[in-house]
Amino acid sequence: MSLRERLQSWRYNLIPDHLVGEILTKRWTDNAIPFLALVITVATFGSAIQGFFKLSSLQDSTRQLGEFSIVVTGLTVVMLGGGIDLSVGSIFALSTFAAVSVFFIFEQPVWMALLASLATGVALGALNGYLVGFLRLRAFLTTLVTFIIGRAIFDILVINFAARIQMSLASSEAWDYIGDGTFHGFSISVLSAVVLAVVTHIALTRSRPGWHVLAVGGSRRSAHNAGIKVRQTVFMTYVFSGFCASIAGFLLACRLSGAGPGTGLNLEILALTAAVVGGNSLGGGRGSVVKGMMGAIIVLVMTNGLIRLGYGTGTNQMVLGLMLAAAVTIDIRWLKNRHKVLNEVYVAPVYLKMGETQSAVPGSGTGYALNDRLSQTDFIGLSQLEGPEDVILDRDDHLYCGTRHGEIIRFFAPDYNRSEVFAHIGGFPLGLAFDRSGNLISCVGAMGLYSISPKREVAKLSAETARSWTSVVDDARLRDPNDCDIAPDGRIYFTDSTKRYDAHDWALDSIENRPTGRLLVYDPKDGSTRTLLDGYRYTNGVCIAHDGRSLFFAESWACRVHRYWLEGPKAGTAECIIKDMPGYPDNINRASDGSYWMAWLGMRTPSFDLSLRHPAMRKRMTRRLPQDEWLFPNINTGGVVKFNETGKIVDTFGDLSGTSHPMVTSMREHKGYLFIGGILNNRIGRYRIPGADETWTSATSYWGTTP
Amino acid sequence: MIFDPFLDLFRGKAVTIPPLDGAFRPNTRLDEADVFSTLSDADNLTISNGRLIASSGNGLFVIEAGKEPVVVETFDAMVTAVAASSTGELAVGLDTGHLLISGNDVELPGAVRCITALAFAPDGALWLANGSSEHSPSAWASDLMQKGRSGSIWKRHLHSTEFKLIADKIAFPYGLYPTANGVVFSESWAHRLVHVNGIDGSRKTVLDHLPGYPARLSKAAAGGAWLSLFAPRNRLIEFILQESQYRRDMMTEVPREYWIAPALASSRSFLEPLQCGGIKTMGIHKPWSPSRSYGLVVRLDDAMQPLDSLHSRANGARHGICSAVEMNGQLFAASKGGDCILALPADPEEAH
Repeated sequence: MSLRERLQSWRYNLIPDHLVGEILTKRWTDNAIPFLALVITVATFGSAIQGFFKLSSLQDSTRQLGEFSIVVTGLTVVMLGGGIDLSVGSIFALSTFAAVSVFFIFEQPVWMALLASLATGVALGALNGYLVGFLRLRAFLTTLVTFIIGRAIFDILVINFAARIQMSLASSEAWDYIGDGTFHGFSISVLSAVVLAVVTHIALTRSRPGWHVLAVGGSRRSAHNAGIKVRQTVFMTYVFSGFCASIAGFLLACRLSGAGPGTGLNLEILALTAAVVGGNSLGGGRGSVVKGMMGAIIVLVMTNGLIRLGYGTGTNQMVLGLMLAAAVTIDIRWLKNRHKVLNEVYVAPVYLKMGETQSAVPGSGTGYALNDRLSQTDFIGLSQLEGPEDVILDRDDHLYCGTRHGEIIRFFAPDYNRSEVFAHIGGFPLGLAFDRSGNLISCVGAMGLYSISPKREVAKLSAETARSWTSVVDDARLRDPNDCDIAPDGRIYFTDSTKRYDAHDWALDSIENRPTGRLLVYDPKDGSTRTLLDGYRYTNGVCIAHDGRSLFFAESWACRVHRYWLEGPKAGTAECIIKDMPGYPDNINRASDGSYWMAWLGMRTPSFDLSLRHPAMRKRMTRRLPQDEWLFPNINTGGVVKFNETGKIVDTFGDLSGTSHPMVTSMREHKGYLFIGGILNNRIGRYRIPGADETWTSATSYWGTTP
Repeated sequence: MIFDPFLDLFRGKAVTIPPLDGAFRPNTRLDEADVFSTLSDADNLTISNGRLIASSGNGLFVIEAGKEPVVVETFDAMVTAVAASSTGELAVGLDTGHLLISGNDVELPGAVRCITALAFAPDGALWLANGSSEHSPSAWASDLMQKGRSGSIWKRHLHSTEFKLIADKIAFPYGLYPTANGVVFSESWAHRLVHVNGIDGSRKTVLDHLPGYPARLSKAAAGGAWLSLFAPRNRLIEFILQESQYRRDMMTEVPREYWIAPALASSRSFLEPLQCGGIKTMGIHKPWSPSRSYGLVVRLDDAMQPLDSLHSRANGARHGICSAVEMNGQLFAASKGGDCILALPADPEEAH
């Protein structure tokens, strides 16, 4: 191996490029940019300002932060529902006034003040909600109007009543405690902010009304079509926002014991900036309370920090404006381009040097040399079938196969001209096997392991296994269950070919060549699924050996067949019995003479083998060419290969022209005939095997002569 | 957007090729055409004294309707180009780099080793296209994969014995069409037709961005020319041409017939490269799928602009058309990949 190749193999096999793509599939990566902004802001001002992190300084900032983040939480909910609330500042101010006037002028107890404050907020919120939600006025203009009117009322009230509030002698311990006291070191405003945030977060992510808000924000029409009461949901978001603003107003009233012309001034701009900078989408549907909180901290630290550094209001407003502009731009660009970024980075090919192989060229004299015998098949279901990946026959000689429409089709013996839909599962039924009592077990691509009873009842057996410790994307789910077989004790052994791609994207998996295939076992006694082996390059066919003591499974992209021991001294271990084949193995099944049939889905080509040693080239290929242009293994020529217990190749069958059976994914011997399926073919082939035992069926081979 | 210049650094650059559209709109006329004669590796066609002459392997054959091809002459190496003068003289280029005129070996300048096309001008001058100074005509794939630009155009006047260099540094000239003051040649690896002036050597591109690799040119009776394109452009191949490391390794480790390179015929062996779109699905090989080989003959007007074209698509068999000539209202096209000579009506209106 040259130095360049060695470096390539280290670079592409040791550095886990694929994790970048897997992490990007996570929703929480949306939080990455706001979080980074938060860290930078806090670090910058923390180091620029002396005593920024001192407790007394923090205590004062956090009270303010508590009130502010309550307002932001309310606004976040409105934005998630697809709206906007510009009136939070005036609601906040009016609620503050309501609280102080009830407490100082009417000299009522604190709870009355709180109630008055909440009533003001909820009433104004309901007004907004009614106008926007039910009358369907534009949210922006409506809340702008309520903002202006609310502010005007507040200004009039403050001018007329400020003196009376100042002169009042009313006082209460509770009032002072809420304003100045701490509970276990935390101020009441911070505690209420945290409680409100937690409750709102849980409500949004785990409750029906919360989901409704997100659904309405994501797509109003779809939400309506899904039966969600859109208008009522929108109404409630504004009520909630008013409620939040009023709580914050009450807390401020307690803290300052008064209201002045500056109360709640510019709060709507601050809150809006906080919500957007945190990463909540202005378009609705995307965002979270946590994002709102992050934005609140960023904005407050920024504005307070700038004031303490001696910058005036103008600078402050300017910075806020710029932050808002940047956040909106990033939000839109990210939303638009995230999937493109993901597409570009997800495919992460690895380096692999395939072993030298023997030639399969006709007349080459090797055991693999292909011939043209498969071109002499009779066709079953020609042009009626689409994608019979696997074929199987029952005790009455009826023929079953899956199709890409998610159906199991049954062809009736003896001529197989008539057919019916035996069962509809969905997904893409791949590997098939009959169990002892005649249930048809199928690996369904993109779904899981299913069972169909003779009465056509479809039941899911398994769709997940245990998650592995190092997985980023949850690998418990079965993505590409491919083939199954059943041991004498009834356990079902099956393969899940890849963790990286869904079943229909198996082509991408061959380009990437990352070993993520698994061998699993389902135990019908307790319904559990266990992972036996992991880390193979596209595990495919499975076949229990004739003696039932071991099983064979194919590793497609590595062109190998392995034997996994079920019992005996080597139980639980796998050994490679055939390696470096010139074709890519698919399903494996028993043959009547004690050996095994193996399908080849395609042939290795020198150009593709070479590309496996050039991962960077493959990566560029996926980025620069559309999928139809990608280099591929030659799957226009497949074949059937027979091997014995020791892994020696006994016979080969090919269709070199590729007219009848270009890609062979399965074959099943039954009463002297070989039935041939192909996942991309529109027919099943029937080939008379010269000299084969005409009484042998796989049903009797597995389960004996009587059912 | 303002971020684009920055983001472009991280974006994949798409590899694109000209679409088959306009005059190149696909049809199946080559596949529907009658086989005039079956001849393996039928390469260069020419008309000598009203007879259709075809080169194939080491020999020259006379092709007549309803008869087996008749051997005119055989040589000790593969014939790579043939042309007939108005007086019936045959000029024959061989893979060894020899040029024979009426059976006599003609002395050539040392640089000429790859005779890909020959043409007699109406004034009797002989034009010669030398595809490459490094490779023989049969090793054209190597020249393409090494991005060869060492081809040249030569001219010998009627009563002279000396070949004069007219133009050089050409990316594989593969066809010649003499004009009044020079010659139009097809520059295969550059996918274009270029006119070079025979006196001052000035060049002008007359047709660019061809969707395939142009081969021979011949005169059309109604004016203009017939252009054969021996292989299609393919985005994977264009991509491989940018992947130097992979291409170098491919040339040293993979047999030439299995390279990711244009071909005269494809899908003959399972060791050939396959592209995703070329996978046979439900018994169908998509005619629009990417392919290494294709059949394409283009009718050009007097200004060498395309008027019409004849196709054999990805699922067809008449691929690798290296030469097409018109005689008596019929167009004859030699399909080197399909091992046959086709006959079609030369007038496109008549064909429809």
